[in-house]
Amino acid sequence: MLGAPALALEWSDVAAAAHHALSAAGGAGTPGATVLSRAEAADIDAISAQIIPSDDTPGAHEAGVVFFIDHALATFFAPLAREFRTQLGLFQAACSALHPGKSFAALPAEQQIEFLKTMDSTPFFARMRLLTVLGMFAMPAYGGNRNNVGWALLGFEDQHVFEPPFGYYDRAYPGFESP
Amino acid sequence: MSLRKYRDSERVDFVIVGSGPAGGTIARELAQAGLSVVVLEQGQRLAPVNFEHDELKYWFNGGLCNHTTRNPQTFRSDPSHEAEQVSVRPALWYARTVGGSSAHYTANYWRFREIDFVERSVLGTIPGTGFADWPLTYAELEPYYTKVEWDVGVSGLAGVHPGEPPRTRPYPMPPLPVKSSGVLFERGARKLGLHPFPAPMVINSVPYRGRPACVHCGFCHGFACEVMAKASTLTTMLPEAEATGRCEVRPESYVVRIATDKRGLVTGVHYFDARKRERFQKARAVVLSANGAESPRLLLMSSGSRFPHGLGNSSGVVGKYLMFNYSTRTSAVFEHELNEFKSVQVTRILHDFYDSDPKRGFYGGGGIDARLGPQPAMWALRQADEGPAWGREYKARLRDFPRTMTISGHTTSLPVASNSVTLDPSLKDAWGMPAIRCTYQDHPDDLAMARFFVERGEEIAEAAGAVRVASAPVKAQNFSMHLLGTCRMGNDAATSVVDRHHRCHDVPNLFVCDGSSFVTSGRGQPTMTIQALAFRAGEHIARFAKRGEIPAAG
Repeated sequence: MLGAPALALEWSDVAAAAHHALSAAGGAGTPGATVLSRAEAADIDAISAQIIPSDDTPGAHEAGVVFFIDHALATFFAPLAREFRTQLGLFQAACSALHPGKSFAALPAEQQIEFLKTMDSTPFFARMRLLTVLGMFAMPAYGGNRNNVGWALLGFEDQHVFEPPFGYYDRAYPGFESP
Repeated sequence: MSLRKYRDSERVDFVIVGSGPAGGTIARELAQAGLSVVVLEQGQRLAPVNFEHDELKYWFNGGLCNHTTRNPQTFRSDPSHEAEQVSVRPALWYARTVGGSSAHYTANYWRFREIDFVERSVLGTIPGTGFADWPLTYAELEPYYTKVEWDVGVSGLAGVHPGEPPRTRPYPMPPLPVKSSGVLFERGARKLGLHPFPAPMVINSVPYRGRPACVHCGFCHGFACEVMAKASTLTTMLPEAEATGRCEVRPESYVVRIATDKRGLVTGVHYFDARKRERFQKARAVVLSANGAESPRLLLMSSGSRFPHGLGNSSGVVGKYLMFNYSTRTSAVFEHELNEFKSVQVTRILHDFYDSDPKRGFYGGGGIDARLGPQPAMWALRQADEGPAWGREYKARLRDFPRTMTISGHTTSLPVASNSVTLDPSLKDAWGMPAIRCTYQDHPDDLAMARFFVERGEEIAEAAGAVRVASAPVKAQNFSMHLLGTCRMGNDAATSVVDRHHRCHDVPNLFVCDGSSFVTSGRGQPTMTIQALAFRAGEHIARFAKRGEIPAAG
């Protein structure tokens, strides 16, 4: 079991690692300053980890989706960053109205899921879902999909050359014959 | 080899606007015929080594394409409403790079059939539409389909399905190796008494004309080929045009106006270069191959006192009769792995439902194929079509990726006058030029046809033994990569923009040839026909030029 808490990092570590990853990536976007505050990053990490949870295989948390989102907000998603953070603020306010004194990230998993069920038709959730999926399955150079864990989940192989047979059903194909 | 360069002030025989399947092909035909040619392409010129497997860049951030920030557009479904600016992706989406759509297409290269050119005569009129015959027949275009197959390189297998149109030669290359989706599709379709056959693809199955065979990397659909196995005009027609020493391909050259003299003849084109400086290239004649969105836009932007409603638009049909085609999507999960992410998208198709059948109660027809569908991120996003969009159950479904294939039906769109490309009255692009306003509402028959194809796709999936089948709901389209019909061909100058040789009825030294030339939509795979039309247009235009039958401005 890869429990999310076991891998919890401090946001400062996250930011430093993200910056390093992006600088090292080269070509795949501009290494930018980190956009998210520590509290924002913790909640985004927690939301993404409910969208694609960690179970017997890594989820969004292990994929580093939060690094990807921070990078996105600093680069290609920048035009929408202000609106996204405003939406996040409303999400956080709604959460603490229900659970005073606790951030979304600090809630037990069951309460996180219950709360998300009330929020999953909001534009903010739609954006979070889009960014989580992109962070899970885009090239690792963008800061997410660390160690290709997203591609491993899908069974996608990152190779430039394949040879037939490609799958189970084309192994014993006798060749095309007109009926 | 040092490439030929022309000065702006040098009057070349032809300026061609656009470097895709149409423009790139016409460039080669004219240059090889001894004429001087400048190809102006708004996008960059990249080399195959620049092409990446970067889904985020190509599918979400407009890597090779027009982009909503630089090239904004507005959209409306109802022509009586004000159009709204689109934000996520352009309504009319096209490759903005040297090679045009041939840089990033899926590479399905189906010929049209005889019926496509004469459907109006066979079926009669359809009220509320501009349904019409083409001004040419399949027989006239056949030699040029063959030319595409042999000069460019199409792999396939001839003579293996009923209804195949007549052909003068077989394919030059055998079909690409079958994938699991192809085997299952073939199995399911045959159980239903249908006639699946190897898909014709403009991808090398063996080395051909100096380019290598496909390495089955799996990144065709929306990506450019880094090994050049998928034919793009970037790696086929344009280098051959340049090798004549008479053709210059000038990238990052964005044409914004076609200039005319007092007699109404074209004198050249105004364009912005890479540094946004306005320049003017002189030419004896202009060929517009900028695609079904940009060709009509450019004619509309070239209005003047002599052409108040746009250049070449005395008929009023420039920009009208826009057609998208429809693509259905049925997802089929099987017991064992298919690994559809490997190799080309499509290896088996069928055309059993190609013809329109009055018994169905609506017009239309199409073809069906089996394929991967989108790459990982887009695939994962789409899994919300059939269940929870997040959480454990969602994650579990993502694991079906290697065991899943998509069955797609590719269908007709009727030409409806109000479906159109016009200039937005207020929105401007990054160069200050009027943005495209797209108006589009599928004809009810088009949506009925799509639903019919969803049912056929589901039947094939079930017959193939799928353990789970789910289809995306058929709904009104608000974007497309198939941009057809907006400068339609015809014999009558009152109802069409160009004649049967692609010459503009109103302007004798202006030609338009690309998806905009289509009179009807075909069955969802237009590019083979765009390129065949381009070979034919190139031959005729070269002949006109040599015989002095293209008047030039004084």
